[in-house]
Amino acid sequence: MTNTLHLRLAPEAANVSTLLDALEAYVEAQELPIKAASRLVLLADELAANVVMHAEGATFFAVDVSRGPDTVTFTMTDDGPEYDPLGRGEANTNASLEERELGGLGLHFVEKLASTVDWRREADHNILTITLDAAAE
Amino acid sequence: MQITSSTSGTLNVATLEGRLDTATAAEAEATLLGLLAAPGLVLDMTQVRYVSSAGLRTLLKLAKQAKAKGAAYSLVGLQPAVREVFEISGFDKIIPSYATLAEAVAA
Repeated sequence: MTNTLHLRLAPEAANVSTLLDALEAYVEAQELPIKAASRLVLLADELAANVVMHAEGATFFAVDVSRGPDTVTFTMTDDGPEYDPLGRGEANTNASLEERELGGLGLHFVEKLASTVDWRREADHNILTITLDAAAE
Repeated sequence: MQITSSTSGTLNVATLEGRLDTATAAEAEATLLGLLAAPGLVLDMTQVRYVSSAGLRTLLKLAKQAKAKGAAYSLVGLQPAVREVFEISGFDKIIPSYATLAEAVAA
């Protein structure tokens, strides 16, 4: 059984679901523990949604997932405008209900839940790589 | 995402099943807003595997609407991965949650 997943999809809203369905099958086949699996699917949702909603002019996004002994590596590639997501998770997590605003949470999750986050721009593509603890239960 | 509605005591109960994510949040929000009325609404999250930021926006909007309507609003049965998302987003401090439906109804 292969321990990698590769998908290349058009940047359409329905394809976020296509991606998550494939990832749910992947984490089940890999028997990843619940938190590792949930973090992977959650961050994939956030990152794919960002591309689908904000990467104007992108023609595709691609996802590569591989599992090592201790980590899961997730890479998202898109050909949208240059966008470095690092350091943008600015949600105010102490705000009261009345003050709480809607936004900034997706990248906050990436910063909190990923073990490492790396972004680079290469040949007009954004390439974002995150690693996750494969043992998180 | 499937949502079924019932009642427990005087409260409406919505039982959610699946992912509350980018793809499903908007439709879930419309359904849940329709169920939100005084004296209150409880969301049973026992069968929800993931809540993304889009899902949290829906839960926050319901909380604000509940306050405006004077309705009680709480969640029950948050799974560990969902609880983790609530904690790192600070939502555990602004939306009450309980282990069981009985506790939510009694609160």
